Amino acid sequence: MTLAAVLLLILIGFCAGGFGALAGVGGGIIVTPLLAIYFGLPMHQAIGITLLCVIATSTATSSLYVERHVTDVRLGMTLELATTTGALIAALIAHEINRRTLAILFACFLFYSSVSMIKKAWNSRNKEREETIPDYTPQNYPLGLAASLLAGGFSGLLGIGGGPVKVPVMFLFMKVPLRVAAATSNFMIGVTAATSAYIYWGRGDVRVDMAAPLVAGVFTGSLLGARISPKVRSFYILLLLIGITGWLALQMTYKLLAGGFR
Amino acid sequence: MNRQDVAADRILSLTLKAGAYTAFALVIAGLLLRAVTPWGITIAKAGLLVLLATPALRIVVACIQFFREHDKRYALVSLGVLGIVILAYCLGIQT
Repeated sequence: MTLAAVLLLILIGFCAGGFGALAGVGGGIIVTPLLAIYFGLPMHQAIGITLLCVIATSTATSSLYVERHVTDVRLGMTLELATTTGALIAALIAHEINRRTLAILFACFLFYSSVSMIKKAWNSRNKEREETIPDYTPQNYPLGLAASLLAGGFSGLLGIGGGPVKVPVMFLFMKVPLRVAAATSNFMIGVTAATSAYIYWGRGDVRVDMAAPLVAGVFTGSLLGARISPKVRSFYILLLLIGITGWLALQMTYKLLAGGFR
Repeated sequence: MNRQDVAADRILSLTLKAGAYTAFALVIAGLLLRAVTPWGITIAKAGLLVLLATPALRIVVACIQFFREHDKRYALVSLGVLGIVILAYCLGIQT
């Protein structure tokens, strides 16, 4: 690989990690399509590399959230029983699914994420940040576990964190405060992604020469993002991410219609 | 949140940090050394393996914490998660 490609990968990782930490969404979502569309990687390899980026974001940022006592470690551990099971099964199945089907699923997920981010941006227009965490007891564990199994499955199949599934379920049905739900989801993502990453790594779907610069960028970006996030309004970054995600969704659709991803 | 939980959170956070920074240092060193020696890519690979191992390590740490607090229920839950992760490791990396 050329030096320019290495630097470009570091930059992509930096942006994915930084935007992800600032906007409170997984940055991995922009890595897979970039690798698949512009670097011409097969979907399985793009997903394998993204899983490592996802672990990097989760590890880097959750150390800060755990330190601030926002993460509910017990709730996270319980739901991880389901996310890791889902991730393991999905990673084993993913190999049997052809590239084009994976690309179609991923494009759908990109559209879904754009819409859910638009909703998130709309809701956060001029809301004050909630500072103190109210007392709570997580409820409705069966539903939480079912949603986690599904989120883990998406993670193993598409290399994403599954936050868009877990956070709303924890918030709406398990009655967990939103900040705790987001931090706990982020905490779980590392273990979930690692579970499926072992399978992808074993199959040789993780290219070290491309994963290393990306991971270096993601680390730097997400650490910086998590540190400055209390001082930055996430609204504009969210808008930027909506733009990028929407653009990538259209690009993937275009490439699919043109017969790509074979 | 009681004092024990605060201490447990600190140890957990330290584990994550140690893993993250070790992985980061190895990956960066590997990328820089790649220009001068073929070992660079091996060092970067070691960094990625540390990154892969960190989530599993933090389950072990949490599990030990729960046992020390005599919180049997969550100690067993952590053991369960660890079991699934080890299964994935055996199915993936070992084969």
